[in-house]
Amino acid sequence: MKIQFTEAQRALRDELRAYFSQMMTPELRAECERDMGEGGGPLWREALARMGRDGWIGLGWPEEYGGRSLSPLEQFVFVEEVMRAGYPFPFLTTESVGPTLAEHGNDWIREHIVPAILAGELLVSIGYSEPAAGTDLAALQTTAVRDGDDWIINGQKMWTSLAHFCDYTWLAVRTDPDAPKKHKGITMFLVPNSDPGWSCTPVHTLGGVRTNATFYDNIRVGDDHRVGEVNGGWKLITSQLNRERLSLINFGPISELFNRVVQWARETTLPGGAAVASQPWVQANFARCRTLIECMKLIVYKQSWAMTEGTLGMADASAAKVYGSEGFIEVYRYLGEVVGQAGLLRSDSAGADALAGKIERLYRTSSIITFGGGTNEIQRDIISAAGLWMPRASR
Amino acid sequence: MDFGFSDVQVQVQTLARKILDDKVSPATLARYDEYQQERFDRDLWRTLLGAGLPGVAIAERHGGMGLGFTELGLFIEELGRSLAPVPVLTHCVAAMLPLQQFAPAALQERVLPAAARGDVLLTGAFWWGQPGVPDDPVDATLEAGGLRLRGCCEGVPFALQADKVLLAARHADGTAIVLLDTAAEGVGMSPMQVTHFEPHYRVELQDVLVPAADIVCHEGGEALLDWTRERCIAALCAQQLGAADYAMRMAASYTSEREQFGVPIATFQAVGHRMADCYIDVECLRLCAYQAISMLNEGGDATTEVQIAKIWAGDVGHRVSYACQHVHGGTGIDRDYPLWRYCLWLRYNEMTLGNSSAHSADLGSRLAAGQALFN
Ligand SMILES: Cc1cc2nc3c(=O)[nH]c(=O)nc-3n(C[C@H](O)[C@H](O)[C@H](O)COP(=O)(O)OP(=O)(O)OC[C@H]3O[C@@H](n4cnc5c(N)ncnc54)[C@H](O)[C@@H]3O)c2cc1C
Repeated sequence: MKIQFTEAQRALRDELRAYFSQMMTPELRAECERDMGEGGGPLWREALARMGRDGWIGLGWPEEYGGRSLSPLEQFVFVEEVMRAGYPFPFLTTESVGPTLAEHGNDWIREHIVPAILAGELLVSIGYSEPAAGTDLAALQTTAVRDGDDWIINGQKMWTSLAHFCDYTWLAVRTDPDAPKKHKGITMFLVPNSDPGWSCTPVHTLGGVRTNATFYDNIRVGDDHRVGEVNGGWKLITSQLNRERLSLINFGPISELFNRVVQWARETTLPGGAAVASQPWVQANFARCRTLIECMKLIVYKQSWAMTEGTLGMADASAAKVYGSEGFIEVYRYLGEVVGQAGLLRSDSAGADALAGKIERLYRTSSIITFGGGTNEIQRDIISAAGLWMPRASR
Repeated sequence: MDFGFSDVQVQVQTLARKILDDKVSPATLARYDEYQQERFDRDLWRTLLGAGLPGVAIAERHGGMGLGFTELGLFIEELGRSLAPVPVLTHCVAAMLPLQQFAPAALQERVLPAAARGDVLLTGAFWWGQPGVPDDPVDATLEAGGLRLRGCCEGVPFALQADKVLLAARHADGTAIVLLDTAAEGVGMSPMQVTHFEPHYRVELQDVLVPAADIVCHEGGEALLDWTRERCIAALCAQQLGAADYAMRMAASYTSEREQFGVPIATFQAVGHRMADCYIDVECLRLCAYQAISMLNEGGDATTEVQIAKIWAGDVGHRVSYACQHVHGGTGIDRDYPLWRYCLWLRYNEMTLGNSSAHSADLGSRLAAGQALFN
């Protein structure tokens, strides 16, 4: 047990930090701001491809895919640093769908799709949720029906984030409507968003972030677009979601935000001349946030370490999701209190301050994390069952 | 970054757990409830000494195992799990460790091998402090033969049972640290009845002479105080981790068996989720405590990490204790069922050496001074 970075890990972190501070030009930063921290613009694309070319995206991936064969911990440090720099990194593609495709995909996927992901040239949106299938995901109704060697796909997905600029959708469909257990009749496909039968309409959310309703109208795909076994999709969904849960809890940006707010409060004075940070309640907020984020850091490092060792447990992945998502919301609140009324001004308003404006938006965008990626109620069910061996009610 | 245990660390854990499983049970613990007997299981203590565990972090040349603070921390976690009535935190963490780090060679050679064998029992008077509050050592005057002490030390665990007490004394030139012989003339003890039945004493000193040979340092004792207190806090966190984890698992098993409305109460989501929150809490305490211990083991600055671990130890102890009692219903506080003793220890560890609010206030003021930021 040695809970500290090795020299090599520290050096890697410093190298990444320098790389990204150089990569994040004011123009790129402005474009990312405009896109509500979601990415998708031309400069954003260019930066992603550059990271791919420079071998960063596949840092922890095996060489056969164009990776550098370091461990998941180094991979995590990379994602932490790129996000800390303020770049909206498409981690769902690279950190959760990508590895699932590499593990379960056929030759075409492993030889063409996965390397393109690591090159920063291919993006995948996730098509699970439907209007009537949310937490009860296995109730999904979009279908794929065999037609000779091909499959014909029909249906509608909801909340298909980033789909408007992604290249493919990682799509869950029903292939056995009569399966006695509904999660045993689901198969995974990789569907090209460029298909004429594919369309999407925007859905705008509280935080200003765009997501989509996506439609699948008689899309024909070859069997090589199927991933994993027919009717064996559930296992892939849960494995992808486990990875998603980890990548959702990234402590890079929040520790950076914390440092900046503390610095701001030290340098900013109240009308009487005292520093904002001199107030006891401000210090109490800082201590709470510092204590909370420290654990977030340790949880994600431990998970990355466990992935390297092959010992990642279901309960711990769910614990990370619950702790992280609820923690983010608390920290945004406490830091919002510190910046005060300025934290109510949108970043494009007169009198807005960049830091406070960021908190204004984070507060609005953060409500999704407690139910997205598998709602926290289900995560707590998983924790009590898998972590404490408690029986649970049948569903 | 390594969160795993080495083979040696697993051996220490396994050895400790085997002895404690064997020798400690609700029935043996019941002997000490309400101060019926002094809470010190000497038979268990001899067995642990025989296995070399109290000397785990003491150098081999002094008769120890020559391992580090991490191994000692893992041993203490097991003591928390079993609530073993033995003076490991006081003898090992509050006395042997600082002696090994700071005492002159001759004093080390005289005391440490005997302490590792258990021929001499030590304790330290370092358990009565709060962050941000200056220490209030006993008064001392320099004499030809040594230091003469007067004053009193509050809340010294196992002081009456111990042969020697490590303590701080202030004199005209600074703060000294001395190893007081409890049999010396002028030493008085009055028992304090602490919530969890561990034997604690107020040690009164009426013109007690500590000979020069038993003086660890004449001045600059603050360094030893800080060094030792950080390790005492980390040890309390390890003990809290063991106790909280055990109490949580007790509640998980109980709710899986106990039926109401024809089903195990664990199947009510409200119960399951409260336990899931305990699981997350205990995991947070584990990570923070291990981080603090591992950093102290390396010997670097761990001020912030130790402080954060103690904040978690306090908060988690409080929340897990009440959640476990709650999901047990009446059984949780029935003295014929073992949970209540865990709750007392969770409370003791929560409040000792700085509660969560006091440490948070200190951490907050350090942040406001630009310290303890993320790097
Ligand atoms: C901005 C945004 C982006 C998203 N991106 C994607 C995406 O890219 N791809 C995708 O597939 N989906 C995406 N989602 C969908 C997201 O995964 C779902 O919102 C989530 O699964 C919850 O489903 P629901 O919204 O239908 O809520 P519901 O399932 O209707 O849940 C409502 C409430 O009921 C509770 N509840 C439900 N079942 C239980 C139970 N068994 N026990 C206790 N409580 C329960 C839930 O916890 C929740 O609080 C996105 C959503 C949003 C808002």
